[in-house]
This record gives sequence, C-alpha cells and structure tokens, in this order.
Amino acid sequence: MSTTSSRARQGRILLEMAMRNLVASRVRTLVVGGIVALGVVVVVLGSSLLDSIDVGMTRSIQDSLGGHVQLYNAASRDPLALYGGTMGESVLEPIDDFARLKAAALTVPGVKQVVPMGIDQAMVSMGNVFDVALERLRADVRRRLEQGAPAEDPDYEAHKAHLRRMATLLQQELRQAREIADETSGVYKDRKADFDALEQAVQGGFWDQFDRDPLASLEFLENRVAPLSLDGGFTFIRYVGTDPEAFQKAFPGAQVVEGASIPPGQRGVLLGKLYAEEWLKLRAARRLDKIKEARELHGRKIARDEELQRWVKENTGQTRDILLQLDPVRTREAVRRLQAALGSRETDPAKLVSALLDTDDRNFDERHRIFYAELAPLLQLYTVKVGDFITIKAPSRSGYVNSVNVPVYGFVEFRGLERSALAGMMSVMDVHSWRDLYGYLTPERAAEIGKLKERAGATTVAREDAEAALFGDGGPAPAPSAAPRAVDEPALLAGSSGRQSREDLFGRRYTQAETDAGVALNAAVILDDPRRIDEIMPKLVAAAAGAGMKVKAVTWLEAAGIVGQSMGLLRMVLYLAVLIIFAVALVIINNAMVMATLQRVKEIGTMRAIGAQRRFVLVLVVVEVVTTGLVFGGLGSILGILIVHAVGWTGGIAATNDTMYFLFSGPALIPRLGTASLVTSVVIVFLVSILSALYPAVLAMRVTPLEAMQSDD
Amino acid sequence: MPEPIVEAVDVAKVYQLGKTEVHALRHVDLLVERGEFLSIAGPSGSGKTTLLNLIGGVDVPSSGTVRVDGEDTSKLTERALTRLRLDHIGFIFQTFNLVAVLTVFQNVEFPLLLQGRMTSAERRRRVNALLESVGLADHSRHRPSELSGGQRQRVAVARALVANPPLVLADEPTANLDSKTGGTIIDLMREMNRRDGTTFIFSTHDPKVMSHASAIVRLEDGRVVGREEAQGAAGDEAR
Repeated sequence: MSTTSSRARQGRILLEMAMRNLVASRVRTLVVGGIVALGVVVVVLGSSLLDSIDVGMTRSIQDSLGGHVQLYNAASRDPLALYGGTMGESVLEPIDDFARLKAAALTVPGVKQVVPMGIDQAMVSMGNVFDVALERLRADVRRRLEQGAPAEDPDYEAHKAHLRRMATLLQQELRQAREIADETSGVYKDRKADFDALEQAVQGGFWDQFDRDPLASLEFLENRVAPLSLDGGFTFIRYVGTDPEAFQKAFPGAQVVEGASIPPGQRGVLLGKLYAEEWLKLRAARRLDKIKEARELHGRKIARDEELQRWVKENTGQTRDILLQLDPVRTREAVRRLQAALGSRETDPAKLVSALLDTDDRNFDERHRIFYAELAPLLQLYTVKVGDFITIKAPSRSGYVNSVNVPVYGFVEFRGLERSALAGMMSVMDVHSWRDLYGYLTPERAAEIGKLKERAGATTVAREDAEAALFGDGGPAPAPSAAPRAVDEPALLAGSSGRQSREDLFGRRYTQAETDAGVALNAAVILDDPRRIDEIMPKLVAAAAGAGMKVKAVTWLEAAGIVGQSMGLLRMVLYLAVLIIFAVALVIINNAMVMATLQRVKEIGTMRAIGAQRRFVLVLVVVEVVTTGLVFGGLGSILGILIVHAVGWTGGIAATNDTMYFLFSGPALIPRLGTASLVTSVVIVFLVSILSALYPAVLAMRVTPLEAMQSDD
Repeated sequence: MPEPIVEAVDVAKVYQLGKTEVHALRHVDLLVERGEFLSIAGPSGSGKTTLLNLIGGVDVPSSGTVRVDGEDTSKLTERALTRLRLDHIGFIFQTFNLVAVLTVFQNVEFPLLLQGRMTSAERRRRVNALLESVGLADHSRHRPSELSGGQRQRVAVARALVANPPLVLADEPTANLDSKTGGTIIDLMREMNRRDGTTFIFSTHDPKVMSHASAIVRLEDGRVVGREEAQGAAGDEAR
C-alpha cells in the first residue's frame, strides 16, 4: 500500500472523527460556529460596503476635481486640499509658469493630460429685486429717450407700476419695524429720512412727475429707495480657476446641467448647482424642495417634525420675495391661476400665495406641483440665470480687493458629489478671471501696465541704480517725457469706457498658449492608466525638477484632504471591528477547544496507547477547529452574500443625510460583492481557526498514553 | 529456541510524588514466552499496572531493560515506541476506552487505519471476522454508548486483536464487569490465545479470573514474589 493512499484513508477517518466530535458536542460547535459566521458576515458585508463606497468615491473624486496626481509648488506651507481643509483654504505658493510645468509633465510616459487649477473662495455680489426692476425700467427710459416715447407703452407703464408696488410693500414692512423702534436713537433719525424718501416714492405725485424727468427719478429710486430693501448682499463662492476646455475633457464627472459649457478660450463661469440651490434660489421654492426631500427620502412628516413646521411657517409668512417679483400684469395672472388651482375666491395675492404655501402632509404634493406648474413660470427662481454677468470679489494676494465680472454660461454638477456640502458647492471659472482675481498678471494687465508706463514715461530701473536715476549722477538731463503736457481727456475717457473694455474682454478668445502661460496653484494630472499612479508620481517630480521647478506630487486621495480622510477613517473602523470580533472569536474558540481537549484526555490517551502518533492528535484538533471555521465561515459568507444581494434588490441603502449621500456618491448605496472581500474573509477565518487551535492542539499532543490507563474517570 | 516475547531484566520504576520517591517496581525480572496466557496478580498498589505499562511501552523503566518482541523499549524514540505499540501490542483497558464518537466497526478498524497497510476491502473482512468471533457481528453499526459493559469489552478485545499483534496486554479487564460477564471475557481471551497463539498478559486480583491463566506472576510491594505454573497449563499447548 502506498503511503499516499494510507494517508488519505487516515485523513478520511480524521475528518470523520472530527465531524463526529463536532456533532457530538453540538452546543459548543454552534457557539463557536456562530461567532465565526457572525465575523464573516461582518467582513463580507462591511468590506463590500466599503469597496462600493471606495469605488464610488474614487470615481467621484477622480472625475470631478482630483484627477490621478496633483502637482503643486513644493515651497507651499500647507498641503493641497482640493475640497478645503479644516482650517479654511490652504495657502499654496503659485506655480509661476504653468506652460513649462505642463510641457515637462507631458514628457513623462503615461501622462495623458495636465490641467491648470487655482482654487479659492470669493464673494459674489447679489443684486436685490429692486435692482432687477430698476434695470428693466432704465432700459425702457433709455429706449424712450433714443427712439421717442410712443403714445401707448404698456411695458413701460407696467414696469413703473411694479416699482411703485414694490415701494408700497417695502413701506408696509418698514412701518412694522418703526413701530417697535426706539424713537430717540440716532439710527432712528437716519432711518426717518429714508422713510420719508420711501413715503415720497409711494405717493401718486412722484409717479405723475416721473415722465417729466425720468433720469432724475430713476436716480432717486436707485440711491434712496433701493438700498432700503434688505435682501441682496453677497454670498461666498468656492471655485476653481482653470482651462475650461481641458477641465471638461479631464473631468467627465463635471456635468453642465443647465446652460452650456464655457466656450473654448473664453472667459466665463459655471456656477455650482448646489451653490445655486442653496444661495441663489428663491427661498420659498428652496424650502418647498427641502420639505419634499425630507418627506420622500427620509419619511419625515410635517405633522410630527418641528423643522418642517418651521419651514412651512416661514413660507406662509414670507411671501414678500415672491410678491416683489410680480409686476401688476403678472400679479393678475398669478391671482387668476392660483384661484383656479386652489379653488379660492380670494383676490389678495399675498393671501393666495400664503394659502398655497400653507402645506400639510395631506396636500403637500399637490401644492408643490401647483407652485412649480402655475406660479414658478411667472417668477425668476434663481437670482442669477444663464447669460447674466456676476461680479466676483476676492482679496488679492497683495491684500486689496479685486473684482471681476464674468458671464454665467451655466450650472455645473459633479457626479456623485452633487449633495456634498464640501465638494458639491464648487463652481468652475476660466483661469484668466481667476488670475485677475488672485492678483496675478494676465496678458491684458501686462499690456495695460506697459501702456501706463509708456504714457507716464516710467522706465524700469534696477534697485542699485535707483539713487542715480532719481538724483542724477552728473549724467544726462531728466527724461523728456517727464515734461508737463496737456491731458488728453477724451482719449483717457475712451480708454476707461467700461462697456468697450467689457466687450473686448468677453468677446476675446485666448489661445491655448495664452491660457497656459501664467500662474496656476496646482495642476491635475490625468494618466492613461490610474494603476500606475505610484510609479509615475516620482517621474513627474523629476521631470518638473528638470525644467527648473520644485513641485510636490500627491495622489488624488491625499489631495482630497478631509474628503479622502473620511474614507480612511471608515476603513479603520471596519478593520477595528473585524479585529475585535475575531480576537473575541479567537479567545472563545481557544477556550472551547481547550475544554474539549481536557474532556477527551482519556480518549486521546487511548488513541496514543493504541498507536496513534502525536501528529495524528494534533491534526485531529486542528481539523476540528478548521472544519468548524470553514463550515460556519462558509455559511457566514453565504449569509453575507445573500444580505448584500438582498440590499441590492431592495434598492440599496438610502442616503438619509448629506454626509451619506456624499459617501455613497449618490442617493443610495448598492453594495457590490468583491471577490477580494470573500477571499479575505476565508483567509481570516482560516488563520483565526489555526491560531485558536494551536494551544489546545499542543495540549492534546502532550497527553500521554498513560492517561488511558487511569481506571477512574 | 524462539525468542521470549517479553524479557524484563532488573527493572525498577521510581515515581516522584512531590518530595517523596515512590518505588513502584524494584528489581523485577520477568520472562514471558510466546503463547503464554499469563496473569499478573497482587493487591492494589503492588505494581501490576506499572509493570504492564512498562511492557506495553507506554512508560519506560527508571533502570533495567524491558525487551518486547526483541526491542529494548528504553532505546526507542517516542515515534518508534508508538509504532511498536501499534504493530506488536494490543491493549485492553479496565474502562474499555472506546472512542465514543466512532461505531463499533470503526473502533475495531481504527488500528488498521493507523497502520495504513490494508485496503478497505481487506479491512472490512478482517474487522467483520473479528466481530463475528467476539459475537458482535450484528452490532457493528452501534455506538459504544448503545452497548452493555460486557459488549464494550468484547469490542475492546476485537480492537486489541485486529492488527494481529503477537502480544495483548489487559489491565484488570474484568474489574468493571460482573463476575459472569468477566468470566465470558476471560473465556474469549483464552479462546483467542488458543486459536492464534497470541500471548496474553493480564492483571487481576480476582482469584476466579486467575484460575484461567497458564501461569501467575505474583507481585507485592513492587517485587515479584513468585511464579506459579498451572497444572495442564494452557501455555503448554502453544509450545
């Protein structure tokens, strides 16, 4: 008989004995097995959840802002944080010449694309509704001045009536404020002058006189009345200044959801959709959206939820935002529509709108529909719309505030990060406007400064020659251009004509070279194969060094800052949980098997006496434990797989808050089973079984055949 | 002249029990010829079990030599000693010592599996034949817990004999059985001794059991105090 077949037979009896021992002590086997199965379920479930989160987040981040590798100036004090750090924006030293870095990076094999970036926060000035209405009226006035006033001019009359109505609404509001004010304070006296101005704007006399001097009247409304309206002001915007064309090619996750992309080589901005929702949307509409979401996604009920009740109350109480937008024509239309939709005979638009927004759990869906179908078409839902110019202000690096006007081409959303307060607010702006804002030289600035210098006769003087140049060193007489001359007023005025230069600026197409030449704060590098990140990173640094630039390269994950860290943290928590479960399992299995061994000392001794080698006993114990582990580990795996599939079939785990939405990269997480997680769990179970079997196995091996001879039990 | 199956020369066994030394055996000489049906007799504590353990190779002497089937047990490694027990010695225990989770058949088959020399068909034939001869052919699928004490000891006898060892050791094989059942077990052992010429050494303090022996070695306080040959001894037939 060959040794192999006899070993096989021995193996069979070993397995059979092990199985029978396991069946003989069912309770112990079930306890040990249950713990193993639980551990495996946690591993399978947890790791497939994490894997899915990982895959989703990786795609979201890589496709939206991260790319594969990020390069930034090595002299920077802070690390790059694409989504902002815990202490605000990180301060980066600029990359002075992006074109040079791009050229160097593109020499590295495997690099597909290099995109310039400058991420910063800025303020966006929001006009108030008065400004919008005044702008319309001003256009009418200008038209009438240029083309003559027609006898019938319904637009003009409607716009005038709208402003008068707005002034009336404002007056009512301020009157309430005055009733509770302290009449002796200085503030009150200031306000009184304002109130008098408002009083004037409401009276019929002012409007009768309007046509006689429309420009003066407009000025009065603009300077004295409009500032009393409290809305407007500014909001904060977080944006990335970049090469929009390259950006859209590199980041498929950035999707223009409304409007159009910024045309190649032109200035413009794509506002973040979430930013627009949060800050630019009509508040009543925003609150309706939030109530709808709370009800549908999280199953909250207005009747039981204080926050929802507060939103409803705010909506019914604050109808002014809506009413201010409606001129008399639209007001009539709104009243008609709402009467029909609500089946009401009410004629007061304020009461109708308030009634519409007075929602409860029963009528909410219907009211939401009416709002968007009937009322919304008469309103401007967002204070900024596609085609508007917005003014963005930011402190430049040298400290003074810069501002730029940029056209809004559309709204952008980052797939998977739509709802993340950290990552979803991001807007995208052209790199030239960013350079203007950030205080870096753009081609126009350079040209402008050059022109100014020429006109003023300034010459570039080296620091060490400054004294000589200023006071003379017995050399040539002062430059002739310093001689006084007449100011060419029309030329200066033409040069500073805002309209003219605006069209220059926004009609202008920058070449790729112009876009690339200049500063950037960081550069996103896209690779042909993301798996080669670690290999390519040092090559990028070396290539940049070769071009005379010291840059630091970080992976997309590091660059994602706190966003990336949250992933790592989740993983740590899971590993810790798994570690604890299996540490407990190890102790329990070990204990159970030690007990089992001690109970079977006589049996083991008998087997040894009859002629079983020590190894046989060792293997017997190990086989018992490993069989338990694998059988119950297998059951646990199956259970885990079933749960994962069940969760998938029922539509995944719904994100019930924005953090979850962000982690899940969408409204729900559908866990996907990874072979890696299954293999891991099998390996862990195997190792834990072997480890926990070691001590009892050694104990069993030490049992001598003498134990068989003891006559007492 | 065939070699004796067991040859003990000046064997002593000393146990350390706390600080005191226990002299379990002193200067024991023993010669067991093949085919003997030898009883070791003596009161409790006289060293019967110790002597059987030394002969069975589950223990080694403190001094002196024990040769079993020509092998000096104190010169063997643990592995070789185990192998000696497997191939040359069968064991019958006072408390039967069957493996609880195995069937009757599997308990008997166990030594053959450890040896790994027979095919499964050969094993089945051998095990069934033995179960037949101990009268348990109908019980091969039973678990030990389903059997009476006497039946269990028969299984143990079958297990001890299955690998056809030249020597079978039995330490008080009837102590846990009533006298009638004990008698049938001794009869069974005697029958096997006669049929196959297998040497049996068993310890007992039951005179009735001793009466079946071909020879009786008496122990007292760890010393051999005498050896009596039975008249018309069974051992003679084997010679």
